[in-house]
Amino acid sequence: MKENKVKLAKYLKEHFPAIIEKDYNYNRIDFSINRELVPSVLRLLKEESGYIHLSHISCVDWLEEEEFELVFIIWSPVDKIKILIHTRIDRNNPVMDNIDKIWRQANTYEREIKEMYGIEFTGLEAADEFLLEDWNGMPPMRRDFDTAAYASNKYYNRPGREDAMDVREEIARHSGEEIPDFAKKYSR
Amino acid sequence: MINDKNSQKIVDHIHNFARKHSLWVLAYGTGCGAIEIPPTMTSRYDAERLGVRGAATPRQADLLLITGYLTTKTLKRVIRVYEQMQDPKYVIGFGSCTINGGMYYDSYNTINALDRYLPVDVYINGCMPRPEAVIAGFTKLQELITAGKADGAAKYKEKLEWYRKNQKNVIPNWTMPEYNW
Amino acid sequence: MREKATTLYIGPQHPGITGNMMIRLKVEGDTIVKAITEVGYLHRSFEKLAERRNWLQAFTLMCRFCVPEPDPVEETYSRAVELLEGRSVPDRAKFLRVLVLELARISSQLLWYGGQGASLGLYTIGQWSVGDRNYILDLFEELTGARVYHMYIWPGGVRRDMPEGFEKRVLKTMDYLEGRLDEYEALMFDNAIFKKRTQGIAIIDKEKAIEWGVVGPPLRGCGIKSDIRIDDPYEVYEHLDFEIPVYEGGDIWARALVRRDEIRQSIRIVRQVIKEMPGGSYYNKVPNPQKWTIQKGDAYARTEAVRGEIGFYVVSDGSNHPRRAHMRGAAYVHGITLLEDILKGANVADVSSIMNSLGTCPPEIER
Repeated sequence: MKENKVKLAKYLKEHFPAIIEKDYNYNRIDFSINRELVPSVLRLLKEESGYIHLSHISCVDWLEEEEFELVFIIWSPVDKIKILIHTRIDRNNPVMDNIDKIWRQANTYEREIKEMYGIEFTGLEAADEFLLEDWNGMPPMRRDFDTAAYASNKYYNRPGREDAMDVREEIARHSGEEIPDFAKKYSR
Repeated sequence: MINDKNSQKIVDHIHNFARKHSLWVLAYGTGCGAIEIPPTMTSRYDAERLGVRGAATPRQADLLLITGYLTTKTLKRVIRVYEQMQDPKYVIGFGSCTINGGMYYDSYNTINALDRYLPVDVYINGCMPRPEAVIAGFTKLQELITAGKADGAAKYKEKLEWYRKNQKNVIPNWTMPEYNW
Repeated sequence: MREKATTLYIGPQHPGITGNMMIRLKVEGDTIVKAITEVGYLHRSFEKLAERRNWLQAFTLMCRFCVPEPDPVEETYSRAVELLEGRSVPDRAKFLRVLVLELARISSQLLWYGGQGASLGLYTIGQWSVGDRNYILDLFEELTGARVYHMYIWPGGVRRDMPEGFEKRVLKTMDYLEGRLDEYEALMFDNAIFKKRTQGIAIIDKEKAIEWGVVGPPLRGCGIKSDIRIDDPYEVYEHLDFEIPVYEGGDIWARALVRRDEIRQSIRIVRQVIKEMPGGSYYNKVPNPQKWTIQKGDAYARTEAVRGEIGFYVVSDGSNHPRRAHMRGAAYVHGITLLEDILKGANVADVSSIMNSLGTCPPEIER
């Protein structure tokens, strides 16, 4: 495994001198590269090195650094190593290259990231709406979207849950029932 | 229609007796609670002995089970389904998240109190309720029907404006037809 | 004569569908020419909520990702957090985790029996298998205190030790189930209707399977031997002796055969785990959850769940909340792009059977 990782890092360095590697003590190796080169790296790894399985595409919002981090996780059934490819894009102008020509399932991941973070994927062919319906506001997974404030403004909150009080007696009185003895001993 | 008050009472009693023993549940798993419905319906718990069984379409169903949290996208469909159902119809709210939002109280996409949007006859709490609890909910509903107290549908007709206002508050793009009794 | 295409909506309210989702079909006669899935009816935004909870509170959200099999998701999240923090797990906890995972696998496969049978009009098998699944849920109830959402596997180990005499009851249930499996097979796999409606339907070939990222039983049904329990072993799977069933064909029939054999392998694993269970502690204590911070970094853990690969990408920024906990589910791949493609040319009556065989699970897609 160790030799495979070294070989892989050397191979990628030859093709992409700007790539930065980070090794881990289990079957994982990370690479960082700027966003224009990501599709070429992925295509090279898939077609030449046997990393045929795209496991995951994830996105992290680094609000403090004004950046989005995109992570592509790929896996080789031969080498038995997972590679995480990190790239950072500008938060104010989030654009990324579409990779669903390399792996078809990437389409779904990209649709979700587009909706949840507002990242544009160039050439992505899919319907605009994915999980949300009639949403007009900030993409909800961004760090500066406050879901608790949104929910308390929009939805009715039943009183009684903020102080975690035991309301069973009140409910029992309301419905004209009695709390059985075995349940009484669990009251707070 | 029978004009005599006492005869009407007897007829209602017979109606309610019949309704109570044939509760057809609409097969619409709106949330996670749907996973406890197959055990409830199959051999061990066997809800069919109470006259509870599945119905495929809203027009043939008597009982709408809201099995858990409702997102605004589902709420729109659930309202549509509920209004298509024929009288008499009943609603059971299933799980903590229909009562006060449960563990999704701060989610931007789920409603927190079901009875603001649909008339709920019985709530079953728990996350998720066990089949015994579900059956207890069914029997409670049957008791209410016998007593003539399961009048959610009548309440909905009466207070339609209030319900509509709440529904339109959370559903941004109201493209549904107005209710046609 | 070419018939005019009509649009047909299946779901969200439809008895044959595997969850709350919708498929828009363009049909010519009985044949589907185009399928568009529409999801999002179950979107609760767990990942946003997890960012507001601390590491241990977030864990109670995680098992609710996929309703039919909550345990693999718990395990994946816990393992991702452990990888991130470098926390070790006692051996006994690892064995207990495998025990729970395999019991969950059996219970989920039994539920699949019911779904797959009912989608083809065979209702008896569902009455049997869902009834028998209760015996496994009873075991879960004894071990964890809950039927469906166990919240048992948590970072650092497991929540409780086995009660006294639990091993015996597990083995007894396994013996009973093994006997029942023969009856299921006779009922389902010797059935002419089942054969006719599954053989040669919804074929995925090997190249396509790799190109479209197919995982789990559908992949093994195309003749590719791939299982994370062997390829990227976690917990104690590398020390256990079991086989990976592989069938050629790539149709619904092959996928059903794979799932049928997996139940027997799971029973085999459960017996080994009970036999080799080591003693000792079952839990490495984690710090006070309110003050539990994890150093900056990220981790990715994968698990072979019943429907295929589940993965968790967890990022920490050094605080006591996850910065990001992103889950990848098998249905995420199967339920949208692959399903849309595979439905082309299929018969309208086969839609629910195809969805069941691919293991489409909407709560996992939408989260």
